Amino acid sequence: MSTVPVDAKSDMRPQSVSIAPGPPDGKPGKKGFFTDTTLCIGCKACEVACKQWNQLPDDGFNFTGMSYDNTVALGASTWRHVAFIERPVPLSTQDAGAFSWLMSSDVCKHCARAGCLESCPTGAIVRTEFDSVYVQPDVCNGCGYCVMACPFGVIDRREEDGRAWKCTLCYDRLKENMTPACAKHCPTESIQFGDLDELQQRARERVTHLHDAGMSEAYLYGVDAANQPGTEGLNAFFLLLDKPEVYNLPPDPVVPTHHGADAWKSMAKAALGLAAVAIGAVLFTPRKGLHQ
Amino acid sequence: MSEAASVARYIDPTIGTLEGEGAQQRALKPEEHVNREASRVWTELPEPSEDEPTYYNRPVLKESVWTWDIPAYYYLGGAAGAALTLGAATQLRPGHDLDQFVRHCHWVGIIGSTAGAGLLIHDLGRPSRFLNMMRVFRPTSPMNLGSWVLAWAAPTAITAGLWVRRGGALGYISESAGYASGAIGLTLATYTGVLVSNTAVPLYIEARRIMPVLFGASALASAAALLDMVHEGDAGCTITHIAGAVGRVGELVAGKALEAQVSRVPRVGRPLKEGVSGALWLSSKLLTVASLAVSFWPGKVKQKRRMAAGLATAGSLALRFAVHYAGKASARDPRATFELQRNRV
Repeated sequence: MSTVPVDAKSDMRPQSVSIAPGPPDGKPGKKGFFTDTTLCIGCKACEVACKQWNQLPDDGFNFTGMSYDNTVALGASTWRHVAFIERPVPLSTQDAGAFSWLMSSDVCKHCARAGCLESCPTGAIVRTEFDSVYVQPDVCNGCGYCVMACPFGVIDRREEDGRAWKCTLCYDRLKENMTPACAKHCPTESIQFGDLDELQQRARERVTHLHDAGMSEAYLYGVDAANQPGTEGLNAFFLLLDKPEVYNLPPDPVVPTHHGADAWKSMAKAALGLAAVAIGAVLFTPRKGLHQ
Repeated sequence: MSEAASVARYIDPTIGTLEGEGAQQRALKPEEHVNREASRVWTELPEPSEDEPTYYNRPVLKESVWTWDIPAYYYLGGAAGAALTLGAATQLRPGHDLDQFVRHCHWVGIIGSTAGAGLLIHDLGRPSRFLNMMRVFRPTSPMNLGSWVLAWAAPTAITAGLWVRRGGALGYISESAGYASGAIGLTLATYTGVLVSNTAVPLYIEARRIMPVLFGASALASAAALLDMVHEGDAGCTITHIAGAVGRVGELVAGKALEAQVSRVPRVGRPLKEGVSGALWLSSKLLTVASLAVSFWPGKVKQKRRMAAGLATAGSLALRFAVHYAGKASARDPRATFELQRNRV
């Protein structure tokens, strides 16, 4: 693990600053998040840091009744969302009665194969040099197609703005060799930022460690293409303790173009049939018609 | 930085700079929100960790942001495409006795595709940027490909009508444009089926093998019905009669096949049976059956053709709106997504 702090004065957490040197070819390499939900304490510092750094407008100040969750879901102006799950079952390492509390900070997954990017008709959604998926606000014309193409329900169009928005993996900070705001502010290192291969290795070690410690339910969600073939892996992946549905994550997300060939084949059949019917109708019709 | 950017951000623009990634995101002042929906408060007990959990029954996907413009476009663009196809097919016939019919086909194609493009632009979040659709050529995006096809529909149809029956190079150009518009029409009438299938919406995913066929059949029925309303008196009526009948029967058969496909996972098929989308789906079937019955009613009935055409048009419109609202309902239902993915082999 490279530990050259760029911003040594303020950043005391080595794994969050591994971005600096990058691979020798000069490219910054793949960056991502590893969100370890066993460490999340639900403080929402990530939500606040994201809002503040990116200067996103508020979502209204609502009471939802859903435990401590008041942002409900990711959206056009909510790029980090902390889910709170109160369960009537204990974790395998707990003996405190039939209750456990799961918290998880959700974010855009920056999929290796991204539905939003593939569906974008204007080329507004691009893959950056950090392998993140970025919406260019000066290009987006607000067609809304990406909203339906995201298998995680992340990207959304803001009504007042007319354009689609989502997490940028703090593209502006990455360009300055800084850690994304959410990871920087996470007090428990539940959100870890860094080089993707290094995060994957660390996550696997973490799961082994948790299993050894008796927390047998820990597993990784979307860590690589083998783990989640439908998206070919997530650049922002998770360590979870219950079914993905519990965290409002799809159990087997698939990028829409994955099964696109079926629809195109059906369209070819439809077009051929349409042509055949049109030509057939014309050929079948006698010169004077049938009804005159 | 403008004062507008500081709205809902609680930043004094005279002190703080607004240069964040989201700083340009337009927001309204709280008092300007006329209809901001207060979120529904969750009042149930924490959900027991059952076999099929959800997150407070909240949707896992985002519902489409498209409004009525889009299903109206499915209808208009489809009708325009199928009309251009009928026009090109009629052009294959020797002689000029059906020139008037071909012209009517081209007019339906020109007006339908132009009005359809208007609807698409109206539905954009930033309508002034509609030309960005042609910034790239992206085969993974049916919407991008569709924009390219749509852009060529009216120009080819107009060119086809410019120099009809002229000899020489100009006549040749018009004739070729006529056939080109037919090929474009085929694509225009069917690509919207791929457009909806290429999404994360469970109902559309399950319907992907039949949706383009359904949309194609519906397009043919719509085009024939529109031509029945504007065209009279020659063999063209027989062409629309045959095409319309095949289109409407195709609509019913493909609709039935689609129902069977999406109902393999019961939860996924639900929006076609319940709610607004279910009602529209049922009325579409009834209207189409009624239209066929009127068409083939024995004996001479006054205005029979027009009546059948009206019913067929209503049926096709109901079908497109049913598909639109069923997709929204499907995206809203987290269990549809979860059950589909858990059932995947």
